Amino acid sequence: MQGPENAQPDSCSAVPPSGVSPAEGGRGLDSLSDAELIASHLASGENASAWVQELFRRHYAKVVLWCLRMAGEREEARDLAQSVFAKAHRHLASFRGESSISTWLYTITRSECMNYLRGRGPRPSAMDDGLLEEVPGDPAASPDEALERAQSVRLARALLERELTETEKLVFTLHYGDDVPLDSITRLLGLANRSGAKAFIVSARRKLARAIARWTATQERLNS
Amino acid sequence: MDTKPREDSLLRQLLSPGPACASAQMLGALRNGTLEKEEALVLERHLAECSRCQTELKLLSDFENAAPRKGEEASLSWITSQLERRFSDDLAAAGEKAHGGAVRRWAGEFLLRPLQMGGLAAAAAMVLAGVVIAFRETRPPELGSPAPAPVVFRSGELSVFFPAGDLREPPGELRWQPSASASLYSIRVMEVDRTELWSAETRQTAIALPAQVRARIVPRKPILWEVVARDSAGRALASSGTHQFQVRNQP
Repeated sequence: MQGPENAQPDSCSAVPPSGVSPAEGGRGLDSLSDAELIASHLASGENASAWVQELFRRHYAKVVLWCLRMAGEREEARDLAQSVFAKAHRHLASFRGESSISTWLYTITRSECMNYLRGRGPRPSAMDDGLLEEVPGDPAASPDEALERAQSVRLARALLERELTETEKLVFTLHYGDDVPLDSITRLLGLANRSGAKAFIVSARRKLARAIARWTATQERLNS
Repeated sequence: MDTKPREDSLLRQLLSPGPACASAQMLGALRNGTLEKEEALVLERHLAECSRCQTELKLLSDFENAAPRKGEEASLSWITSQLERRFSDDLAAAGEKAHGGAVRRWAGEFLLRPLQMGGLAAAAAMVLAGVVIAFRETRPPELGSPAPAPVVFRSGELSVFFPAGDLREPPGELRWQPSASASLYSIRVMEVDRTELWSAETRQTAIALPAQVRARIVPRKPILWEVVARDSAGRALASSGTHQFQVRNQP
């Protein structure tokens, strides 16, 4: 691999690039903070720059590991990670520093990964037995019915919060809330048990079914 | 009766972010201890009873503390090297396109390729020397003329009301929450592979679906839709993210 010592640029200048203060003229890129890298990149007016590449390099591992765990296959994970950084690059000018770069990249990574999973098609059903048959509310065909259903949702949310363990809630939320396949959840959360995320789904559904049955029985007693 | 679609729909609504749910930005600030005390207390109270936000906080923490597990090191290394190579190629291509010069190619070729610290310092020095040529024609930022206020794009922070989940018939309209500072909303309706069925813009927070679009929404076919709030210059302010609905089988 050709090293930098063999590079022969046309000419050199002692003037540091825009965005790097004279005091920093001699600093390597790795000594600049994330904020300084962004400022230097944006001040340069260039679309692509060494600063933004250094910025992203610092966060490759976070994004790549997430994509790898979601996709489960390295070529797909690579393409996914590239789309994350491409999107981050396009929106870099809109980053206002209200969160850390890491948090910002997390939102992009999460969004891209969820879109990728949706694009792979509907997730296979984990279970066929009806879990929430007793929870009132029909599929909404109008906004008014949607509001009524919101009350049922609040009830179900309270039961979920009360009955499930932390891991069960995580798995349940990702699988049913975000349509993340169970194998992706197993990798994402690093679940080491034999059945992975499926075991937690089974356990969570069992607990919720019992809680809903108890609630229904209580309602019937109150109404009788 | 097939209760599965109804149950899926209810679960999705149950586990989707509610109006009180925190953004990743707020969760990150809570985690870093940079949230105002009052705000932190409110958020912590909400977290105690919201599995959605608990999940988001856990995912954010895991993301920021990411370390390769057993068996991931090789893939991480391979993917990272691929990304660096592609980025360097893009950098070189962008430089050539912008300036039509060979100098940018040199800057691209040697950017951060050596990962050792000694090579890194040398590479950084070459980069600084190389990119200077491209900056000769670039004026420094002017003082006294403030840059236009940057627009913060917040994905997933625009809430939608309807439709979502299972429906008895194709929806007659789409409705969403108003977004502060928005002048316009862009709406897209897509098939599950993101092929666009229809798009439109409106200044309202609801829009009717044309009959010809409704006709294409057949039972059990998942449909995606999203809405983006834009300012008067057309820049995106917030997005709903992608939401899904479908018409269930006719009984």
